[in-house]
Amino acid sequence: MTTERAAEALLPGLRVPGNRVSRRAISYWTARAVLSGGSVVVAVVIGAAAGGFSSAWDAAIAATGVAAAAHAVIMPRWRYRVHRWEVTDQALYTRSGWFSVHWRIAPISRIQTIDSHRSIGERLFGLANVTATTASAAGPVRIHALDRELADTLLDQLAVATGQAPGDAT
Amino acid sequence: MTRPDVAGAAADDPPSAPGKAGSRDQGGPDRGSDTGWLRLSPRSLVVRPLTDLARLLPLVAGLLILHSRTGSSLIWGVLAAVAAVVTGLIHWISTRYRITDERVYMRRGLLSTKLLSVARDRIRTVDVTAHLLHRVLGVCRVSIGTGRNDFRSGESFHLDGLTRADAEALRSLLLAGRPVANGAAADDAEQPDEAAPAPAAAEQGREIAALRLSWLRFAPLTLTGLVVLGVLYGFLIQINEISINHNLAGSRPVRLIVADFAALDIAQRVLVGAAVAVVGYVLIALIGYVAVYWNFRLAEFGVGTVRVTRGLLSVRATTISLNRLRGVEISEPLLLRAARGARCIAITTGLRVGRGAEHEGSVLLPPAPREVATDVTARLLGVPVELCSGPLERHGPAALRRRYFRALTSAAVIVAGIGVATWARHGPVWVPIAALVLLPAAGFVAVDRYHNLGHRLAGGWLVTRTGSFARRRSIIGTDAIIGWRIHQTWFQRRQGLMTLTATTAAGQQHYSLRDVPVAEGLAVAAAATGDLIRQFQA
Repeated sequence: MTTERAAEALLPGLRVPGNRVSRRAISYWTARAVLSGGSVVVAVVIGAAAGGFSSAWDAAIAATGVAAAAHAVIMPRWRYRVHRWEVTDQALYTRSGWFSVHWRIAPISRIQTIDSHRSIGERLFGLANVTATTASAAGPVRIHALDRELADTLLDQLAVATGQAPGDAT
Repeated sequence: MTRPDVAGAAADDPPSAPGKAGSRDQGGPDRGSDTGWLRLSPRSLVVRPLTDLARLLPLVAGLLILHSRTGSSLIWGVLAAVAAVVTGLIHWISTRYRITDERVYMRRGLLSTKLLSVARDRIRTVDVTAHLLHRVLGVCRVSIGTGRNDFRSGESFHLDGLTRADAEALRSLLLAGRPVANGAAADDAEQPDEAAPAPAAAEQGREIAALRLSWLRFAPLTLTGLVVLGVLYGFLIQINEISINHNLAGSRPVRLIVADFAALDIAQRVLVGAAVAVVGYVLIALIGYVAVYWNFRLAEFGVGTVRVTRGLLSVRATTISLNRLRGVEISEPLLLRAARGARCIAITTGLRVGRGAEHEGSVLLPPAPREVATDVTARLLGVPVELCSGPLERHGPAALRRRYFRALTSAAVIVAGIGVATWARHGPVWVPIAALVLLPAAGFVAVDRYHNLGHRLAGGWLVTRTGSFARRRSIIGTDAIIGWRIHQTWFQRRQGLMTLTATTAAGQQHYSLRDVPVAEGLAVAAAATGDLIRQFQA
């Protein structure tokens, strides 16, 4: 599959995390992109109305509309191909982003808190995200847009795993 | 032991401070037996109201002026003083601490009490500070640094108003991890440094570095002077609000100066203005350096702790336990670097680096010659000097191209902006042409940034260096790395680069290898933390 190959090629030398996020994430991200892009378009239209709909304004409206539409179509699919996660005995490993890509690796033994958060948007689409924090203020690892049930299982699994790791995690 | 040509004893403790600071009424921390809550020194009853009043000084002065003008009663001033005394009393009554074998407890608050506790084996640093008033009364403030980074105000673990002897005993107790004979500690603390050579040797530890007067030449080369300037400015503004400034501006010398200055032609004005600014800045920077770093001394103590003492008016002694020291950052702001100077900052979990590092107590070495900085770092971390000053792995031509691209595009945007602005306002043509000089300047910056960029992994230490205007070399122990972040933008991907970030609980929390070639970055990460990365390598 071409999408698979694109996913593999991102960082030579580093394996792709095993699991994809929920397929519903695409709809969720699309909805978010439509909302934010739509509000930008509305703002431009209001500006144009104040400016009397000159030809320059018309062009601006068209350009913003096309950009917002392109973003809403391309970003969620691209993002879905990038977002991945995996939990091993030793570590939590995630990949996220789209234009810029982030990889994060946190050893299970260094995880201090695990929590799950669901915004209104995520609840509408039956999604949840799981965040694991470490002693480093720069080290939280977040898995976005998981299936709700999966997020709950993962939360329990991580809680058990971190509970078993000795030491003070710094 | 004799002190080297340091600051001399001039600024040493005022005689009253260590002398009568005994604590017979208190007993000090007992030997780990878990009875008994201890109180702060009764002297804190004086400290607290006076500090509060000092903070309110502008307000009080304003009230006084108001009073002199309107003749309204002084009732508000009296009320404020009473309130300050009462809060001081409440503070003293309600603050208690207790040390058991495992934990340190602190209780405060009268109506809503708060009990804080910290496990003794989690204590990384103990910071003892004493500002002027503290010193006159012979008390100090003890802050205990743990691994937590997210202290909200009110939750930080500090005891304000312990006698010196108590503070000293507490410090030895907490960092030595074993009880200290209370009487002995008190005796040491009661001796002025010079008067008691025998106990002083134990008291002073083995010296690693101490301030030399020649280091003052570095004072104007950092931004500390600017900070002092800011404080002074704020102070002037306050004075201005109390409207003393009107009299000042109207006074005869000021008017004469203004008149003389107005008589000069424009070139002379610029010259005089610049000279005054430079001289003023240098003076203020010197004053700032002396105030903060006077009597600076870094010494090693028997049980694996180092102590930094410094300060002219308010003294500060930060004690760092060496096995909690995760690394050292050698920072070289541009001017300091040009003068072959550097300063050192501790990377440790109890102290947070960053804004106002000087106030946070993580300074290991004030601006000093680079050789001193590298020697101190090497000695503290037990690494070869070469790791602290030697060459690093470069990040390759792609990283250089990226430096050029970023510097030149931002310079080009600025030049274009200036050009458009000039054109729109029909400004003189030489302005955009002069702005073109930004382009070669950006080129130099790019080359410098590239030369500074580097990393190295040796003997369990990860060394990274970045920056140009503020060059930083960070040396972190690989066992302090508690996770990795890799970031790759679309542009970096096309050039085979990535930004590798080690996250840690110490210092700035994250240390990056910017624009490192992908294969090399992964190799470094794998070598630094072994299985953590290897299991994900393809």
